[in-house]
Amino acid sequence: MTAATETETLRQSALRYLWVHNRDWVEMAESGGPSVIVSGQGVRVTDSEGRSWIDVNGGYSCVNVGYGRSEIAQAAHAQMLRTNFCPVGTTAEPVVRLAAKLAELAPGDLNRVFPVSGGSEANETAIKISRAHHRRRGEGGRYRVISRRGSYHGMTAGVLWAGDGPPAPKSDFGPAFPGMVHVPQPNPYRCELGGATADECAVLCARAVEDAILHHGPDTIAAFIGEPVAIPQGAPVPGERYWPMVREICDRYGVVMIADEVVCGFGRTGRMFGMEHFDVVPDIMTVAKGVVSAYFPLAAVVVSDSVADNFAGGTDVLGHVLTNSGHPVAAAAALRNIEIIESEGLVENADSVGSYLREQLDGLKVDHPTVGDVRGVGLFVAVELVSDRSTRAPFPEHLRIGERLTEKFRSRGLILRARGNILHFGPPLCLTRSDADEIVHAVDIALWELEGEMGMGRFA
Amino acid sequence: MTDRTGLRDAALRHLWMQSGGWADMEGSGDPIIVAEARGLEVFDTEGRRWLDVNGGYASVTVGYGRTEIADAALRQMTELAYYPEQTVTPPTVRLAERIGRLAPGDLERSWLVSGGSEANETAIKMARAYHARGGQAGRFKVISRRGSYHGATAGVAWLGRAGPAPFYDGEPAPLGLAYAPQPNPYRCEMGGQTPSECAVLCAGALERVILSEGPETVAAVIGEPINSSAGAIVPGDEYWPMVREICDRYGVLLICDEVVCGFGRTGKMFGIEHYGVVPDLMTLAKGLGSSYVPVGSVVATRDVAGAFVGEGNAFHAALTAGGHPVATAAALANLDIIEQEGMVGRSSELGDHFLGMLSDMLRSNSLVGDVRGRGLLVGVELVSDRDTKAGFPESLRLPVKMMKRFRERGLLLRMLGPQVLQMAPPLCVTRAELGEIATAVCGVLSEMESELAAA
Repeated sequence: MTAATETETLRQSALRYLWVHNRDWVEMAESGGPSVIVSGQGVRVTDSEGRSWIDVNGGYSCVNVGYGRSEIAQAAHAQMLRTNFCPVGTTAEPVVRLAAKLAELAPGDLNRVFPVSGGSEANETAIKISRAHHRRRGEGGRYRVISRRGSYHGMTAGVLWAGDGPPAPKSDFGPAFPGMVHVPQPNPYRCELGGATADECAVLCARAVEDAILHHGPDTIAAFIGEPVAIPQGAPVPGERYWPMVREICDRYGVVMIADEVVCGFGRTGRMFGMEHFDVVPDIMTVAKGVVSAYFPLAAVVVSDSVADNFAGGTDVLGHVLTNSGHPVAAAAALRNIEIIESEGLVENADSVGSYLREQLDGLKVDHPTVGDVRGVGLFVAVELVSDRSTRAPFPEHLRIGERLTEKFRSRGLILRARGNILHFGPPLCLTRSDADEIVHAVDIALWELEGEMGMGRFA
Repeated sequence: MTDRTGLRDAALRHLWMQSGGWADMEGSGDPIIVAEARGLEVFDTEGRRWLDVNGGYASVTVGYGRTEIADAALRQMTELAYYPEQTVTPPTVRLAERIGRLAPGDLERSWLVSGGSEANETAIKMARAYHARGGQAGRFKVISRRGSYHGATAGVAWLGRAGPAPFYDGEPAPLGLAYAPQPNPYRCEMGGQTPSECAVLCAGALERVILSEGPETVAAVIGEPINSSAGAIVPGDEYWPMVREICDRYGVLLICDEVVCGFGRTGKMFGIEHYGVVPDLMTLAKGLGSSYVPVGSVVATRDVAGAFVGEGNAFHAALTAGGHPVATAAALANLDIIEQEGMVGRSSELGDHFLGMLSDMLRSNSLVGDVRGRGLLVGVELVSDRDTKAGFPESLRLPVKMMKRFRERGLLLRMLGPQVLQMAPPLCVTRAELGEIATAVCGVLSEMESELAAA
């Protein structure tokens, strides 16, 4: 079979048998069928027809060390040959080592590691642990979970209704999960509470957490969950006072604080964990994605001793079983991945190249009236587009700005998702300045085209 | 940390194992740290050899140590370990096609995920979204059977209400769950005296649940063809065809959870094939990757999937590791082994042999209430009184005592709950190994019989 016919066979097979997440196969067929990606190296991927792109999204902001690291493949292979799994009640060396490594990396007394297979499972487990923690201490009435609008914590039912809740149409997913309480996102660019500065917004939003606790009654609140910097609204970095205030409020009312580091963890923000920017130690931290750079499905819940100690033995043990908890191959791959992150200084690189990328993107404001805000931290970056910079009005949905731009980026060598009015950047942390230049150049041209089409460019 | 003591200390200090508490392990010498494994044989860091009778979590279907799977994973991970969103990779597509061809009837489209909980969660969401597409958004309830288990995440943890205790740990439960009886011939909730009678009564009861909840509010019925969590409960032949017919009559989708049964465990490729029934959605995990990789799938019929085509109809429930190239490449190599080595047939033949051997050997043991199963999914139910079928008080700590005795005989075998012994060895198990297992099980149960008689 020639490469071309093989690609066509795969496409036809995909259109008939594969349910590509979030896609419609009829629409996919009309637009030429899915791209069949066959290889990847660093920040770039190549399809079966030899076309190549920079994966600016880094998968789902998860390929932290970049594509093509054969050392991770070798480590996984070696472990799979030794033992591919562990019988019930047993473990294997890499699992123990990974638990110890995560405890070493995590701040404070976050010392106990419950491994799982993905971010949704991790956040589900964290919430279950926090409710059970209160029950072990005779506070069984604490079941509510506070999250922020504009956050995302996973697709399974126990976390789906935290944050913004399910994607549209919401009628697909009802009924909503009981006990979910929502508070504002400390988004300085669009502060729900009217804060005029990042700091003002931070303080108002932190107070809203306390208000929600008091409104529902502290003795009904199990946990607060939030990402250090959230993804759906495009990396809105909260003002510095937000997290310390939330930490203090959680302490005051006996609420377990869960930091969802699924996206932020492992260097994405230019620190090993996102919460380090704010000097705050949560009671439970969840990690996924970057912990293994998506080379294998793996996630983990890292729990403080003060919470975990409630579950040490006897009838206190948590009843919670997931087949792949403690998978030895996942752990071996993760250990090698973390070694790469540490030995190649990828956290520092994310910090410096991330700053550079944001500066360059910020420079686009001069020529492009559509660029409303450039923000983020490390290589967790977003650009928010607006139809009018002074009013910050978004483009109406029917203009399909996001889809049009995504298409333009595609044809200029970038896989870069524009969701609605927001461009999300989560590239591998091995990104270089010259890669960043290439990205900014393609974004620049795509914006010229878009603005031209709408008659609103600088020279329009 | 290379020394054994160092590793064990680190495990006790830092690892949260789902199988038990670290304080309990401290005294028992646990956890066992696995160094190598082949087939059913597991060797720990102290050089001890074990037979894994549970086969992981009934999940290591082809057995441990298959280098073909490791090599396939290595090749794929070296070429492409992950992929940009909304694109595909060759093994992702090939696995979807492979599953579509294996699955019965017109089940053909795969939404790939990483595990059984994710698969069942997605299937339920899909069922609700399917009805919403058809103008019946009021159909949100899900009916499961008491005593079933479908996963640990919140959308599925309350299905069947058979999750691990303490059950209140995760509460509150989600809304919209209703329950029907389990067609358990040994303990028929509806009083049926034979498997067939029990099957008919339980299917009838399921219909009454639909009617009392209101058919226009019911999205789906979910069940395992052969229940694994209560120890291989094989319903009478009438059950599934009747349930299929009832679901059709009321416009309810039938979700078949093949997480345990799938890929040969019960002696057919899929458990539901024993009953000649085609569900609307089928969920797969465990045997799909034999625990070399976390991988699962929701397989939808053409009709169900067809509802998600067209403007505004796409289903939005992406999971980061769905369709993972390494997981799917490994799963393909795993399916090669299952098919090329005739493991489904082996499971059927050796399962019959094993079940016969166990039934004979355990006939005279007064603790044994029931020996049952299909293929290499086998359950032994223990009772304190064969006539009343009364169980054992939890205070007796039977599972802990039995596990200890199995270990003395070189078996890794855990009980499911206080009275069911479930065995699900890898399908590569040999007759000699089955003999070794049956002898050990029989020996341990004799010891327990004497111990309990003396007490």
